[in-house]
Amino acid sequence: MITVWRFSTVTSMLLPTVVLTAVAVGFLGTIGWLVPAALVLLTVVLAAWYPGARYERWRWRLTDLAVELEHGVVVRQAEALPYFRIQQIDVNQGPIDRLLGLASLQVTSASASGSVTLPGIAAGEAPGIRRALLARASSAVQGHDTGVRDAV
Amino acid sequence: MPSEPPGVPPPGAPRPPPTPPGAPPPPPGWPGAAGPAPRPDFAAPRALHPASIVLGIPFRQLIRGLIFPALIGASAGPGLRFVFVIVGVLLVMTLIGRVLAWQRFRFSFDGEVLRVDEGVLSRNHRALDVARIQQVEVDRSLAARVLGLATLRVETAGASGEPEVELRVIPEADADALRTAVRVSKAQLTGTATSGAQAGDLDADGEPAPHRAAAPDREVVSVGLTRIILGSVTGSRLLVLPAVLAASLQFVGDATELGGGTLDPETLVRRLVALGVVAIVALLIPASFVVASAAGVLRDHGWTMRRIDDDLHVSRGLLSTRQSVVPLARVQLIEVQRNWVRRALGFAVIRVHSAGGGGDDSRVTIPLVRSDEVDRLVRELLPGVGGVPALWSHPPNARRRAVFRWIRASVVPAAALLLVPGLSGQLRVLGAALPFVAAVLGLVEFSQLAHGRTDRVLASRSGALSVTTGLAPLVKVQGVTQRASWFQRRLGLATLTAHVAGPGGDLTVLDLGARRGTELRHGLVIAAADPVVPKELAEAPEAGMVVTPDP
Repeated sequence: MITVWRFSTVTSMLLPTVVLTAVAVGFLGTIGWLVPAALVLLTVVLAAWYPGARYERWRWRLTDLAVELEHGVVVRQAEALPYFRIQQIDVNQGPIDRLLGLASLQVTSASASGSVTLPGIAAGEAPGIRRALLARASSAVQGHDTGVRDAV
Repeated sequence: MPSEPPGVPPPGAPRPPPTPPGAPPPPPGWPGAAGPAPRPDFAAPRALHPASIVLGIPFRQLIRGLIFPALIGASAGPGLRFVFVIVGVLLVMTLIGRVLAWQRFRFSFDGEVLRVDEGVLSRNHRALDVARIQQVEVDRSLAARVLGLATLRVETAGASGEPEVELRVIPEADADALRTAVRVSKAQLTGTATSGAQAGDLDADGEPAPHRAAAPDREVVSVGLTRIILGSVTGSRLLVLPAVLAASLQFVGDATELGGGTLDPETLVRRLVALGVVAIVALLIPASFVVASAAGVLRDHGWTMRRIDDDLHVSRGLLSTRQSVVPLARVQLIEVQRNWVRRALGFAVIRVHSAGGGGDDSRVTIPLVRSDEVDRLVRELLPGVGGVPALWSHPPNARRRAVFRWIRASVVPAAALLLVPGLSGQLRVLGAALPFVAAVLGLVEFSQLAHGRTDRVLASRSGALSVTTGLAPLVKVQGVTQRASWFQRRLGLATLTAHVAGPGGDLTVLDLGARRGTELRHGLVIAAADPVVPKELAEAPEAGMVVTPDP
């Protein structure tokens, strides 16, 4: 997973680096080459440190009632999505994910912003986890003993 | 002997005859007395009213469709006749298309499924199950009103903003009857009795008792004309105008300062322009008030919300009326909004966000209510909730962040006013004063920052000039997110977001104590994981504050 993040850090820094290089060299001449040098250094540092730190902080678990996640280095986030509110679960794989045999589960609720993503799951385990989550979701809906089963 | 109820069709009818609304129900033994009768009015496929050939075209599309060719024709050169010919041909083609479309359009409703067959080249058959229908609305544009027609729109819970079925136009009475029929079928489907007084409802004399609805049908709130005007005038957009006036006066100051004693043409022109600008702006303000009031009255005249069964029916509009239906069970979030003018006058605006339905109708706005009516309306809109709960203020550290946020927002305009060359002294003073004004606003925002929770609802208040109190029923919370940036962590704060369905956005509690945030998060997850449907809630009394206010 860390590799995936490293890769995406590098690729996402690539375009701004190129653009800023062009601008700086265009306006400042030879001194402008300091800019891409600084940006490349920044990218290297970020790619080396940030994904590792992110990985350390990433936690998710299935509790009695909900899927709970904690993640984030600079901005720490804790999210919770109760099984009762699960509408749909997708298994997604980016190009690098496929190469490395990883997948991520996207769990969707009725609220677009309340949906959570569980990254970095082994591709072989992903369908199993998805089934387990769906089973918990449907048992939560059936166990709900008052009349209308309306998660919205 | 009971007299024959009016409107009974000839005995050869294949189904039990419909009971016209308001007529006494047929006594036992008569056809139709067996129970709530399905309404077969619409079982046979019907066509739209012929006027839909013309009225069915959205006006804007028509203009758009004509303008391009008209422009092309005009620029082509060889005389205006050419343009007329082109436009004429297009109009005829459109008309033929519309006639064909009208001929091919059929709709029917048999009590369970609403069917629509349409399409000239590609036939489209739609069957909408009553269970999927979320909202049924009747709109009357000005032209349709004059002819006694209306448009019926049916929406489902899908995410798209387009109505699933739109019947434009059918006779008014048919539209109302069809809407009632759909509503009755929906209610029967969910098992609740709507018009419970049907067969066997006799009063003391043995005469058929008048048709009585067992379920509630009452008015919730209606907004009078003066309040609509006041609401439009105190709307936030207009408050920009005094600022614009002040800014333009500034230019007058500039223009009259320059040139001292000499009166060369340039200075004269500048002065005249400045005065002209001020005059225009000075006229603009009352004109804008008038325009805003007029727009508000056109849109919201006769604003009434009724509760019928478990739905809220809202109707409004002066020339073209609009009716929306919001099922109570679909209300996700309520916002009570007061800007500084309304606060001073003691008024508020309530926005109701719901899921399902598209565009305008996922958000119903009550134009203006008095602040002391808010609790009653909250009780109506959120069953089981007693009103706006007691709100607890946030830890003192949040004050720093609020002030910082406002000062940060004012830095760029202040720097611009101070550093850009060529501006007058007064503007520079304004630039220097901005951060202080921002700091004061930050303090105001902190004083308004608060949240509260009962076992039914989560409330959060925020804002400085325009203060919004959001209320989210716990049964509607889809998920919870707690965020803490590095600055917030240092100050022991966090921001909690309760996610709700629908396009209305979420409820955010900004900068509350981190420990309290964690408690709140766990509590919300428990409530969201096994919610009680609002109808059940309405019977039990609400418990007060659940957690102590320790930040």
